[in-house]
Amino acid sequence: MKKILTLLLILAAYFIPTYAQVKTISGVVKDNTSLSPIAGVTVSDKQGKSTQTDATGSFSIETDETGQLTFRYVGYKSQTLPVANLTELHVFLSSQDEALEEIVVVGYGTQRKIDLTGAITSVKGSEIQNMPNVNPLSSLQGKVAGLTISNSGDPGSAPTVRIRGVNSTNSAGPLYVVDGVLHDNIDFLNPGDIESMDILRDPSSIAIYGLRGANGVIAITLKKAARGQTTINLASSIGFNRVIDKINVTNAEGFKELYNRQLANLNAKSFDYTNYTADTDWQDLIMRNGFSTNNNLSISNSGEKSSTHFSIGYNKQNGVVKNGDYERFTARLHQDLKINDRFRIGGDITGMHWNKTPTVISFTNALWSAPIVPVQYDQNTFYSMPSFQRTQVGNPMATLSRMDGKSLPKGYRFVANAFAEWEIINNLKLRSTVYTDLGFNNSKSYGPLPFHFINLGEHDSPTSTTYDKTVYTSVSQSADEFTRFQQDHTLTYEGTIDNDHRFTAMAGFTTVYNHNTFLKADRRDTTINIPNQEAYWYINVSNENNPGTYSGRGEKNSVVGAFARINYAYQDKYLINATIRRDGSSKFAKSNRWGTFGSVGVGWVLSSEEFFKPIEDINFLKLRAAWGKIGNSNGIADNIYQPGLTNANTAIFGDNVYTAVQAEYIPDPNLRWEVVRGIDLGVELRALRNRLNAEINLYDRTTTDMLTQLPIPNDTRNYFTNLGKITNKGIEVSLGWNDFIGQDFSYAISGNYSYNENKVNSVGDHTNFQIIGNGGANLTETGRSIGYFYGYKQIGIYQSLEQMENMAVMEGSLPGDITYADINGDGKITTADRTYLGTPFPPHNFGLSINLAYKNFDFLIEGQGVAGNHIYAQRRTANFATLNYESNRLDAWTGPGSTNIEPILDNSRGNNYLFSSHYLEPGDFFRIRTLQLGYTFDTNLFHNKVKKARLYISGQNLKTWSKVTGYSPEAPISNIIGGGADNGIYPLPATYTFGFNLLF
Amino acid sequence: MKTFAKYKTHLTAALIVTAICFTSCEKFLDTDRQGAYTEEDYPYPENSSAYDLHVFGVYNDLRAYSVHTDAFINATSIRSDDADKGSTAEDGGADVIGMDNFPVLTTSGRANALWTGFYGMITKANNAIDEIEKAEPAQPNEHLKQQALAEVRFLRGYSYFMLVRLFGNIPLIDRRFDDPAQQSNVKQSSPDAIYSFLEEDLTFAAANLPLSWDSKFAGRVTSGAANGILAKVYLTQKKWSAALGAANQVIGSGQYDLSTSYSKIFGEDGENSKESVFEVQATASPSIPQNNGTQYASIQGVRGENDWNLGWGWNVPSDMLEAAYEVGDPRKERTILYASTASDKSYSIHNELMPIYPGGVPNPRYNHKILSNPSLRRSINRGSWWMNIRILRYADVILMAAEAANELGQTEEARTALNSIRERARREALAGTLPDIASNNQTELRTHIRHERRIELAMEHDRFFDLVRWGIAEKTMHDAGKKNFKAGRDELLPIPQTQIDLSKGVLIQNNNY
Repeated sequence: MKKILTLLLILAAYFIPTYAQVKTISGVVKDNTSLSPIAGVTVSDKQGKSTQTDATGSFSIETDETGQLTFRYVGYKSQTLPVANLTELHVFLSSQDEALEEIVVVGYGTQRKIDLTGAITSVKGSEIQNMPNVNPLSSLQGKVAGLTISNSGDPGSAPTVRIRGVNSTNSAGPLYVVDGVLHDNIDFLNPGDIESMDILRDPSSIAIYGLRGANGVIAITLKKAARGQTTINLASSIGFNRVIDKINVTNAEGFKELYNRQLANLNAKSFDYTNYTADTDWQDLIMRNGFSTNNNLSISNSGEKSSTHFSIGYNKQNGVVKNGDYERFTARLHQDLKINDRFRIGGDITGMHWNKTPTVISFTNALWSAPIVPVQYDQNTFYSMPSFQRTQVGNPMATLSRMDGKSLPKGYRFVANAFAEWEIINNLKLRSTVYTDLGFNNSKSYGPLPFHFINLGEHDSPTSTTYDKTVYTSVSQSADEFTRFQQDHTLTYEGTIDNDHRFTAMAGFTTVYNHNTFLKADRRDTTINIPNQEAYWYINVSNENNPGTYSGRGEKNSVVGAFARINYAYQDKYLINATIRRDGSSKFAKSNRWGTFGSVGVGWVLSSEEFFKPIEDINFLKLRAAWGKIGNSNGIADNIYQPGLTNANTAIFGDNVYTAVQAEYIPDPNLRWEVVRGIDLGVELRALRNRLNAEINLYDRTTTDMLTQLPIPNDTRNYFTNLGKITNKGIEVSLGWNDFIGQDFSYAISGNYSYNENKVNSVGDHTNFQIIGNGGANLTETGRSIGYFYGYKQIGIYQSLEQMENMAVMEGSLPGDITYADINGDGKITTADRTYLGTPFPPHNFGLSINLAYKNFDFLIEGQGVAGNHIYAQRRTANFATLNYESNRLDAWTGPGSTNIEPILDNSRGNNYLFSSHYLEPGDFFRIRTLQLGYTFDTNLFHNKVKKARLYISGQNLKTWSKVTGYSPEAPISNIIGGGADNGIYPLPATYTFGFNLLF
Repeated sequence: MKTFAKYKTHLTAALIVTAICFTSCEKFLDTDRQGAYTEEDYPYPENSSAYDLHVFGVYNDLRAYSVHTDAFINATSIRSDDADKGSTAEDGGADVIGMDNFPVLTTSGRANALWTGFYGMITKANNAIDEIEKAEPAQPNEHLKQQALAEVRFLRGYSYFMLVRLFGNIPLIDRRFDDPAQQSNVKQSSPDAIYSFLEEDLTFAAANLPLSWDSKFAGRVTSGAANGILAKVYLTQKKWSAALGAANQVIGSGQYDLSTSYSKIFGEDGENSKESVFEVQATASPSIPQNNGTQYASIQGVRGENDWNLGWGWNVPSDMLEAAYEVGDPRKERTILYASTASDKSYSIHNELMPIYPGGVPNPRYNHKILSNPSLRRSINRGSWWMNIRILRYADVILMAAEAANELGQTEEARTALNSIRERARREALAGTLPDIASNNQTELRTHIRHERRIELAMEHDRFFDLVRWGIAEKTMHDAGKKNFKAGRDELLPIPQTQIDLSKGVLIQNNNY
């Protein structure tokens, strides 16, 4: 009946003469991501009149004033726009790819973004693909409000990722879900294979992942073949990396001056520099410009019955510290088969192989080495460090030359899944998927003979050359295996009733099983020298009577879960989503292993209400609110509820060794899930003809029964138990604007900002204690943020004894020592004067992106930064020997009035090494993260054989504004209760890249 | 409606499947520890009592880094007038320089190491006691059980004796806590309460430990060790007659004598000799060069180049100690390892030519007692982790007896004991050196006994505690140039700030820190 009515209406419309005035509308159609013009777009009006855009994306059409125009193009989402009062119309089409943005991963299914009631942000694969990062997570930095990424420059290393702050003293990293498989890391992914990344942040979105999702979820969808297309895509880039911010240390002249001053202050005999005439910049010697390349070739084909996507990739990154590097080969095949209208099967397999050359030299070694020492005499003879640091500091170049390339770790990883989907009746689908993730790492290494060392003569001792005869050649091997099996079974019903009620109901069941094994052995040949050639580096090269060790261990755990979800929308205006999940974890005792979690979310699309229709400037407005409860058992070892024994200890009697057993840790038989509860409020807005978009979220999340390693003062063993409560509150703001200026120029600007406030509500309800981190520099206690900096506050330097008589003084302090603030005002400086000095976790995160397009050129600038945190320059507190000085020490106190900042050069003055604001640096920084200039060729240049060709040059981390003196201002936040310490962080290099994308 | 009924059937089916699965799920979730035991499934060997394996775990800690190595050497020797920090002037930084020259930092990592090390051993002992009490061996043997308890209580008593002398007011952790967190809030006890607790432990040990063990258990604690430590406990509290009684128990046991020459006691071939009363056992092999040993010797090893890169070069004999020796006393050469000079060659006990000071090594003197045999250094490594640590020697027991007897007015007995030590020393000297002490005057004898103790036991970790219990610490330190030493503060280490922070203020800092 309805259909007939509709038909009649259309017929009527056809015959009713139009009185509206006819006018000409012209404009340009562009891709909303690349901002490049699209040729061949069909532009039509309601009356059926149509035209196509030309090579520059321009069109011109005559239509009536009150009508609307529809823009259609293969591979893009159609768009219909009213033309009222306009003569010029600029249109951004989103590609089918991007239509995915409208569909987001919500765990065991997908959902239209418009129907969401939680905070989920999608980042498209195309935004990541051209960034010079091996790990795709690195490219997310600054792109999503509420997501904090701390990158490392170490080749092959994963960045530290935090979503909406830190929830637990125990684990803070998110869960990664790649096409349904749960992972702890995504090292195996080539950025070019990623279709989209969804960052699920609020408890209602992550509740469906119950078991592991409490720290947020990053769901990754990999590329699949687009319907009806055969495409070949080649993306390739090469570049080099360079450290632009070195640490300022003294040269030979500066070192001698400072060491003389220090020895004089200690009343010690001066050092004899006669033979130490070199001026070596060790830092320069261990660094290099590194090469990097990222490549991805994908072929996809899709037909009626089957679709195939195949890709291969190669990434290589040279470290900026000699001679570490990392290379990775990836291959992936995705296949979908439609057996009949109701039955579909498919699968996906990714294989990955990596090789690594580990960095063998530490920065602190290079920073600490005295610059007065020459490097080497010949290939096999190096200079040893002077007596004042010989035992503690080795010649960095000797270490580098000796150990470089002597360890050869490599690994293989296979991630695969197979699924079958059966539409039992209309709209009711049963889907079963089995997954596996297999990793095999192994390494072999070689311990070479030492070099000869020249010990330059000091005082009466002559210069001598020594060779350590007690060192023998050795070999070692290791083999580790990681296996994970997961199965998901879901039953989903999607239905509509009377067009007003749209709902999806889903129920499912899942299990995850992990089993890992580790094995290693080494042998030292005390009779012959094993050659320095890789072919010999196996254990059996050395007879078994030679000394050696071997060890092996294993891990096993499992999880079972059942879940259900219902999504309901009434007239696309009122939305309700509800989730329930029951989970069991093998990490807890039988009586504690089960937990029930869930969430409820509601949404209201105001802009769909009748009363809102008159407000034309606002295209879309949604309010949403959600509540959820999730469990977390991340970060604790297996079976620690059981009273585990270790037999690693021994009693010795004479030369006899007796195995001992004892408790390995203190077990808590009542160990259970920590529980995270939270609410999330959000507003989403699109306005001014969809050119402006904005999203604001407010959240408040509380963890109770926090799984915590409680330090027992009189026991060094670990004790994990549930205690404490911690809250994270915050706001996230994202804004975007895009528009044209004239025919040829278009631009898009977006920015995001987030603020997170962390507060420990209690640590332990029955026990009076606090958790200390990093030797007491960080404290976790009730009423403050987690792991905050706790120490003395510097207010100056004591200048003279007379001055000190009228001041609060710490026991043992002398002129030249740091003056600390008398916080409690009792007239002396004691431990009671330690106070809150800041937080290592940046509470403010922001990112900014500007995209410009002019004709065939495109330009991208991305900036990113954090504020409000501090970094502890802990590397400067090392005083166990005489180490090279950082140049701030040139300004050390020499007498009254010389300085109020740098204390005297005297490492016996222990009061100056206490943790204080003297060693804290503001962590605020802003950085030009990416600068990219691209050119897209007119496809007719290649006789249309090429669908798209783009060249670009790009720079990453080109300029950073920061007060941090270390290699990188990226907050070192991987340690939760002892974060923020810079003990020689791997430099984050600037990267300069040239690349191209070709689409056939 | 029909379709609804249909999928209701499907749903019911799914729910049933789920229900079945959940029962089998429990099994799926029962994963075992991999490659490790629990208290329930440890297969105790048939011929070893369930007790031993737990007792051995406590022994393990005697070799721990935080128990008898770096921090121990600092607190018991470098703090005294007999030893200096050594190495280069600035080496070790404020933490170690503070140990040498006072005051010790409240944040000293070494003070904290001693605290966690000895309390760690106490906690293990408490756990072992609990395990032994509840063990159900196949053939229960009350004698073995009491003996095992005695071993553990000896180690606990010894740990408390160390802690009470190092820190003074300390919390008394006397059992395994059901709620481990409660340990965080145990308040400090007075030294008197600690002493009476540890005396009880050591008395029990003395009564229930054997006089000796089979040779395969060389160095396992005996009633002699318990009585010997007990003698020192009493001496420290000036309980003279109890001290004399305990010392005489050792002397009368027939297990020990002074037959081992002084030059032999400290080397590998002197380990577990007739001289040894309580000795921390260590061993090493080319395959396992460290795990069964201690870093004790390495920390004090000669800090030279190549073959003479034996360690950090810490804890070197001071000018004051060197000057304290009587002329010709052969013990000086065995205690002080001299570096060569540009003009003078010096050799070690193993006849190795010493490197030159200054230049070749940063110090003129090193601790000779910890020098290992060069052939083992070549075959294993230069770290010398196999060197045992002499905690209590028979000579120490005799000198304790001498001191206690003298304080009780039994001067003749004291003098005889004293002279027996001098007699052994002069066996390796030219005739006429180290003559017998003739005086029977109590005050003079006291001076002689104190001097003999200093020389005989030089660099053996008692000097600082001796100075404190004799009440002459401040004067001696100031005379030795350690002017920062303050009476009323520096006799004790500070309670580690970390521990005060962890307890959230339940622990109270020692006076004047």
